[in-house]
Amino acid sequence: MPSLRSIRGRIKSVKNTRQITKAMEMVASAKMRKAQARVRDTRPYAEKIKELMIRLAAIESHRPNPFFQVRPVATVGIILVSTDRGLCGPINSNVFKMVNRFMAERPGVKFEFVVIGKKGQDFVRRSGLKAVGSISGVKDRGQIEEILPATQVAIEEFSEGRWDEAWIFYTEFVSTLSQKPRSEQLLPILPEMSESGAKKPSPFLGEYLYEPDTADILDVLIPRYFETLVFQRVMENFASEYSARMMAMRNATSNAKEVIYQMTLIYNKLRQAAITREISEIASGADAVQQG
Amino acid sequence: MAFMLSLLTQERVLVTEEVDFVKAKGVDGEFGVLTGHTPFITLLDPGELVVRKGETLYSYYVSGGVAEVLPKSMIVLANTVERADEIDMQMAQTARKNAEEALSKPISEIERRTYLLELKRENVRLSIAARRHSTRHPGQLSEE
Repeated sequence: MPSLRSIRGRIKSVKNTRQITKAMEMVASAKMRKAQARVRDTRPYAEKIKELMIRLAAIESHRPNPFFQVRPVATVGIILVSTDRGLCGPINSNVFKMVNRFMAERPGVKFEFVVIGKKGQDFVRRSGLKAVGSISGVKDRGQIEEILPATQVAIEEFSEGRWDEAWIFYTEFVSTLSQKPRSEQLLPILPEMSESGAKKPSPFLGEYLYEPDTADILDVLIPRYFETLVFQRVMENFASEYSARMMAMRNATSNAKEVIYQMTLIYNKLRQAAITREISEIASGADAVQQG
Repeated sequence: MAFMLSLLTQERVLVTEEVDFVKAKGVDGEFGVLTGHTPFITLLDPGELVVRKGETLYSYYVSGGVAEVLPKSMIVLANTVERADEIDMQMAQTARKNAEEALSKPISEIERRTYLLELKRENVRLSIAARRHSTRHPGQLSEE
């Protein structure tokens, strides 16, 4: 039988925990709203530029460009987007599982990582994988410039032929209640890349007129495409992180409430038992005195 | 006959709707777009982008980017965009003055070019903002 005092102590400590999780829930939900709005704002550009690149990839005369060329795959570069902090449910581990599965499906291929976020850095180190670059501390309302170091490394690896494909792994924001781990091939850009489910890019497959000329436009568009997609996926990841954290903290808060309720019940039972015992002791003591 | 215009930056959506006419500044000069335009892709110079929808004109300052024109749609992937009513005239004037002052001093060729660009940019922004004050319909196309 636990003592009254020890139960009181435990109730107090659980109440403290509840206060912390409640506060974290509220912080996460405020950040989540902003991050969700940001996802809404950044999605259209990313979608459009991806569709445009896929259309351009379908044009025969662009094929010689290395960014449109399929080559035998010896090394796959993976941009791994993760969170800096924990306590956000299973979103990081779900992405890591997906990475592991992806690698298991491709025996004989080497993998190199560019990591965004501390949790991803831990994962890569733990698993003994090779990271060629990593950044952390990206701000949720940050500018695209913040992720450029990561994208520059990736583009360089690809254009210098060390990577034959570039993929990005991140957590897509679906809704507050649902976040999906996703893998997406970014390079080379292939006409058949438009994923199932996403609406097909408009079926224009003819030639364009170019001003100033194709090469100049592709030189501008390709890095921009790559940066924008990575940036947008990082924003998705933020919205997912905050949503997942808010839900995790909400669950923790309600669990704490439940524990407090149960313990208060036990505490009151014990207290009543003690009072009853005391009264009966006093009564029997009084009896003894009267009879004596 | 209207066509679909998407005017986007990496960070926000300015326009996604049917419009009648767009005038923009490509690297090889200004061009106008109506429905049924030949497919073409161009890099954009810093300059004004004018949109006509019905009887109303809307004006934007675009700092550069890429435009894709298809017969029934046009996508502008801009670096940054300011709506005419977002341009801070005072700031633009100060920036122009600074650039002019810097240009009047002896400076390196690279610096001179930067300031010339800056001057050009501020002039465009100011002329857009000034026109906005004189038109009767300074309204904006979308609230987004």
